[in-house]
Amino acid sequence: MTRFKIAATALLLAAGFGSAAAQTNKPAEIGFGIFTFTSGPAAAYGMPGRNAAELVIKQINASGGIGGVPVKPIYVDEGQGSAGVIAEFRRLASDSTNEVMIAALSSANCLALAPVAEQLQMPTFMWNCDTHQLFLKDRYKYVYRTNSSTVPEFIADVLYLLSVKPDFKKVAIIDPDYAFGRDAGLIFKETLKALKPDAEIVVELYPKLGSPSYNTEISRLVSAEPDVIFSNFWGADLENFVRQAAPRELFTRSTVILALGESALQHVGTVLPDGVIVGVIGDGYWLTPDAQRKPQTKAFVESYRQSFNEYPVFPSFKMANTLYAVKAVYEKAIATNKGRWPTRDDLVAAAKDLKVDTLTGTLVLREDNDGLVDQIVGVTKKDPAYPFPVMGEMVRYPATMVTPPVGADPIAWIKDLKPAIMASVPKPGSYK
Amino acid sequence: MIANYLPLIVDGLADAALIFFVAVGLTLVFSVVRILNVAHGSFYAFGAYLSVVIGAIFAGRGWPLLSLTALVISPLLVALAFGPLIERTLLRWTYGRPEALQILVTFGLFLVLEDLQKLVFGVQPYSQDLPMQLLGTSRIGGIVYLNYQLLLIVLALVVGVSLRLLLKKSRIGKLISAVVADEELARTIGIDAPRVFMLAFSVGVFLAALGGALASPTIGVAPGLGAEIIVLAFAVAAIGGLGQIEGAALASILIGFTRVAAIYFAPEFQPVVPYLVMVAVLIVRPYGLFGSIGLRRI
Amino acid sequence: MVVRYTVILAVVAALLPIAVPWLGFVFTLAVGIGLAALGVAMLLRGGLISIGHALYFAVGAYAVAFLMRDAGIHDLLVLFAGATIITAAVGFLVGAFMVRYRAIFFAMLNLAISMVFFTLLSKLYYVTGGTDGLAVATPTVLGMQLSRGAFDVVMQNAALILMVAAALLIDRYLKSPLGEALGAIHTNEVRLEYLGVSARGVIWAAYTVSAGLAGLGGAITAVAIGHVVPELSYWTVSGQLVLVAVLGGIGGVPGAFIGAFFLELVRTFAVGIAGEVWNAIIGISLLIVIFFLPEGLYGLIQRLERRRTNPK
Repeated sequence: MTRFKIAATALLLAAGFGSAAAQTNKPAEIGFGIFTFTSGPAAAYGMPGRNAAELVIKQINASGGIGGVPVKPIYVDEGQGSAGVIAEFRRLASDSTNEVMIAALSSANCLALAPVAEQLQMPTFMWNCDTHQLFLKDRYKYVYRTNSSTVPEFIADVLYLLSVKPDFKKVAIIDPDYAFGRDAGLIFKETLKALKPDAEIVVELYPKLGSPSYNTEISRLVSAEPDVIFSNFWGADLENFVRQAAPRELFTRSTVILALGESALQHVGTVLPDGVIVGVIGDGYWLTPDAQRKPQTKAFVESYRQSFNEYPVFPSFKMANTLYAVKAVYEKAIATNKGRWPTRDDLVAAAKDLKVDTLTGTLVLREDNDGLVDQIVGVTKKDPAYPFPVMGEMVRYPATMVTPPVGADPIAWIKDLKPAIMASVPKPGSYK
Repeated sequence: MIANYLPLIVDGLADAALIFFVAVGLTLVFSVVRILNVAHGSFYAFGAYLSVVIGAIFAGRGWPLLSLTALVISPLLVALAFGPLIERTLLRWTYGRPEALQILVTFGLFLVLEDLQKLVFGVQPYSQDLPMQLLGTSRIGGIVYLNYQLLLIVLALVVGVSLRLLLKKSRIGKLISAVVADEELARTIGIDAPRVFMLAFSVGVFLAALGGALASPTIGVAPGLGAEIIVLAFAVAAIGGLGQIEGAALASILIGFTRVAAIYFAPEFQPVVPYLVMVAVLIVRPYGLFGSIGLRRI
Repeated sequence: MVVRYTVILAVVAALLPIAVPWLGFVFTLAVGIGLAALGVAMLLRGGLISIGHALYFAVGAYAVAFLMRDAGIHDLLVLFAGATIITAAVGFLVGAFMVRYRAIFFAMLNLAISMVFFTLLSKLYYVTGGTDGLAVATPTVLGMQLSRGAFDVVMQNAALILMVAAALLIDRYLKSPLGEALGAIHTNEVRLEYLGVSARGVIWAAYTVSAGLAGLGGAITAVAIGHVVPELSYWTVSGQLVLVAVLGGIGGVPGAFIGAFFLELVRTFAVGIAGEVWNAIIGISLLIVIFFLPEGLYGLIQRLERRRTNPK
């Protein structure tokens, strides 16, 4: 009889546990595929992203993980080329412990991966690439961009330029030759045409991404004698360009806009004079008023500096903000499910209209899965507290001011901008 | 106005100078050893990396001026490390074997060296522009030029002329010429042909590494450098005529100027230009501008 | 049946992915490279080394992308056929003047043309997508739009069938007068001319066929990856094709495929285990084969086979 009772109790308990487990069915760990450049010229931009990911995931796991489940990051080097990246994505997606992909850095890889992610129904959060072509023609269910697109980013640069230097004639553009660079050239030109029609583009150069040397391009730029030079170089390309151009007096003869300039300030900033317009294509700068006000951000900056011997640059914030956004999506989904582990469709439902406080501002996910982030632009300024220049005279352009609405053709929207808006945009130095 | 074209001329010659070092090494090795060395670009890359590293060491110790010597020490080290070793082991085995096999052996070597590079130097980009900074700038016609570029042009001239003199006047040069002209006969009169091969190959490695070292202050050094330069060097060597030093010089100038001109007048086609020129030249003169009767089998 | 080994390979490659699904993708890529390497191997028989065959690989791949985007063709088999024909046509045109060259000059000119194509693909951003390349959507099969998973299985098996078909065809070709003449060109071209056979004609035919093969290989690769990039035409890809041909062995048709499968498997596993040295592993394998197994892996298999059937 006793044996029967014990067996029955055991059975009942097992059933109890079973249903509880069935209710939560939490996995032992969740895999995040994290795509960034860890080799080649792009690594100068990609490694800060990877560093931030390591830091944030360590912190998340230290406080129990997401919904009590630890996160396992799997890093993929985009340096192996698109074919390899796509193959890696497919392979990671075929393993069911991998629930989310944080990809990618390069616009080229994002454009290649988005249809693949959709085919495989793998929730993918684009942590960096901003090419507006991503959501231009296609609607995705499983692909999100947790940062801004090229449209607001480069419109903000034009607005800042016109604020500090309303009078100029000749403009030169030098961007890397791929979607991101071509996008930038187009958006910059169209915005300029709308807001300052008398400006003239005298030179447009698109050297290959990853070119080691720009000496001839620099000669060409210098000989054209432009008043303004715009460039969205990044990574080692940006650092090489700055190093090679500075002794040729490029930065003193023209007003230069380095749209992604903040990422290079700690490495090559010392050769730059004051007054070079630099941006962070978003709001991820560690010395902004918002960043300095938030205790979580200050802690992040400090631990980043201690771990990696330099301050986090904006790619680090893009990655960190994305990871926190993904965590928020999970937490929202788990709360909606009352503890049951979310399926992919649960995550998609939770990501709808998501609004998250990030380390440096807020992120809003729109109905077309694109992200709304404020744009910060400033100029280089020497600061006695640091051995490199900082961003001064900053402006924080609200996302809604510089981003076309859902469904609008960005170029048509830009063409409709009027010079009169300059009266209502925030002035340089207003972001304090 | 000359002033408007001066940047073009300086850039073109500087570009030509950098290509020349690599192309002349390739063509020299082909002329003596009769092998198209696909791994030639890897020596360029090693020269660049090593120069950056040595320069950084000197700079770190507070001897910035010595970083200039790194530009010469580095290629010497690369040549000493790789030249005799590779010639004696890999290349020697391929002499007399079919061309396809020879090219493949050097391709295999290229693959190995690419990874060796990553293992030794890592995959992050390097930069050391101290030599460029040290030499400063000059102002000509209102435009600022890097004195370093002018130095490159002078060095290329020096190397070109020295090579020519070496081959024509010096004893070693005459031995090399003899082996090139008729190897069998040279051996029968007692010339140590294997020694000559080793020497010629090592000089070729030195020249490639020198190209890399001299280029390093003006470029970013990252993986993939060797692969890009070798195909350009092939183009230049083929245009000039394989085995012809003057041909390599002329072809380098031609390619340097067409590339630079493209950036000024048709920037979208700048990377296409060297290969278009190569196709054009090879169709009209398959042996290159200075090349002579080819290797048709009878 | 010399092609027996290709059939064995195909059967193994069809069955393994049932157990390990992502191997199917690797094997499809191997077929793509194998076809292109077979084209290179054909020319090697004639003593001609092409270090620019990636040109045709890329033409085939981009042909698929353009046919889908601009000509509205979506059927898998039509795409494959179209890409092969287009690439063979390009090979025919290029071959017209290519046949005048031999040895190193043949190699150089092929290289030059492939690099012209590579740089054009990279720069003509608004036509070719530049360095970003073009996406290749999932083609339809016999009019049906399948889910990607089902499509992958169909495509992988189609690729293996094409591999066997190509092996049979090329084996026939090489045993035909045109094919035998190719080998004769390598030995003594002038003697062949004295026999009344046009060396140029023989080479032209072989060149066109080899271009078509590479084009089919590129088309398969394009559909498998779903994306085409200019790097498909880069000189290192051409080098890999020659490597695969020699590694596998040019003595017989299966060699190219054996070499291709070897390369893709090593690449897949090496990238996972020791990402920094996979190039070196391939390079060292190549050197080992060149030094110790001049007839390639296929030659080794043949030798073992002979020893098995004729034990001393």
